[in-house]
Amino acid sequence: MVAMRSNDSAGRSSGLLFRCIVYCLLALGLMVADERYDQLGRIRRVLSIVAYPVQIVVASPFEGWDWLRESLTTRDALRADKLALERQLRVAQFKLQRYEALEAESRRLRALRDNTAGVGTRFIIGDVMDVDLDAFRERVLVDKGARDGVFLGQAVVDAGGVFGQVARVDQLTCEVILISDAAHALPVQINRTGLRTIAVGTGDPNRIKLPYLSTSADVIKGDLLVTSGLGGGFPPGYPVGTVAEVKRDPAQSLADVEVRPAAALDRSRELLFVWLATPLPAFSATPPKPAPTTPPGAHAP
Amino acid sequence: MMRADRIRRVPMLLSSIVALALAILPLPDAIDAFRPDLLVLVVFYWSIASPRAGGLTLAFVAGLALDVVQGVVLGQHALALTLMAAWATHLRLRLRVFSVLSQSLTIFALLTGYQFILFWVDGATGNPVTSFSRWLAPLIGALIWPLLAELLSRLHAR
Repeated sequence: MVAMRSNDSAGRSSGLLFRCIVYCLLALGLMVADERYDQLGRIRRVLSIVAYPVQIVVASPFEGWDWLRESLTTRDALRADKLALERQLRVAQFKLQRYEALEAESRRLRALRDNTAGVGTRFIIGDVMDVDLDAFRERVLVDKGARDGVFLGQAVVDAGGVFGQVARVDQLTCEVILISDAAHALPVQINRTGLRTIAVGTGDPNRIKLPYLSTSADVIKGDLLVTSGLGGGFPPGYPVGTVAEVKRDPAQSLADVEVRPAAALDRSRELLFVWLATPLPAFSATPPKPAPTTPPGAHAP
Repeated sequence: MMRADRIRRVPMLLSSIVALALAILPLPDAIDAFRPDLLVLVVFYWSIASPRAGGLTLAFVAGLALDVVQGVVLGQHALALTLMAAWATHLRLRLRVFSVLSQSLTIFALLTGYQFILFWVDGATGNPVTSFSRWLAPLIGALIWPLLAELLSRLHAR
């Protein structure tokens, strides 16, 4: 393209058309390579390192403002904060004592059942970067990447419950797809009954759906949903949300169940990346067999 | 190739980088959908006012940058932006003498075409977008075009 002779204006129509075609073919080739063959990981990583300064520059005023506000809070506010935090810590420690007992009990029971799937184990904490990705998808950019050992498909939780999973890993950052993204599905279990189903995002951070429960399924408002651990991506037993509304239309075969996510999907700033104790079967692009993992129907055994 | 009238690329690069930064500036959810595609408008401006400065290379690189920062399939914005910038370049002699209103209308058509290509690629790659609000961006973009064109032409002339 460099050799194109352009005397008075580069936009002489023949040259313009030629270059347009070349660039379009290049773009199409990139899309095919990226989407179909997944060959562009390295290129994308390099490009994302180039884009990183821009993202840092955009995010820094907000971080600076947060810092400034924190350093200007009054002594009284700090004291109040400290008291509240101490109170929270006491409650948390109290709960933790019970948790340890429960964990020990769970380990004993699991040993009895010869089932070694652990609860989550190792964590690192990542901060959500103040950068907007596509406005129409529920995704966030987090400041941990391949350098920190983050991997594709890794489970991400926040203080409340399951947040999402890693959708793309770059060298210094990664992109997390929220459980409320319309393209995200999560194998879950109703804690009260053990009923397994799949939770699907809606595109709204305050709402996820259970579209595959039959009208006769045993689900009521207030039921707690936890991850079932099937499908291999998520550790079992993490809270996903509570059932907010169940609509049963007798004319339909499937119930309309709405769930309020437990995680603060639109507010959380710190996220935990989870490594499982005993690695579950690796997340593979091709589902190996019609596994009994994710029955779309509601008919739990 | 580089003759007496030296092409100044600094204003172009500067405005493109600022527009890219504004494209990822976090906004409250309520007004996020109203965010215009500033970088696209900037690329259109340079395609119309000074196609030799950046031309389609600028459009392609800016598209790639958008792909990377938004984390979509690589080449999506590049394709849309290249096609629409080529069209804008093709129309530039007419656009320069258009009235403000006709210019805005043309820009609206170009932005709609741009969104349509994005929409089409989204569909083809299986990433459903469940809202209609993406079609607001062309409207907002066309509304702020006169302002932006004025601003950029001042920057250009200096």
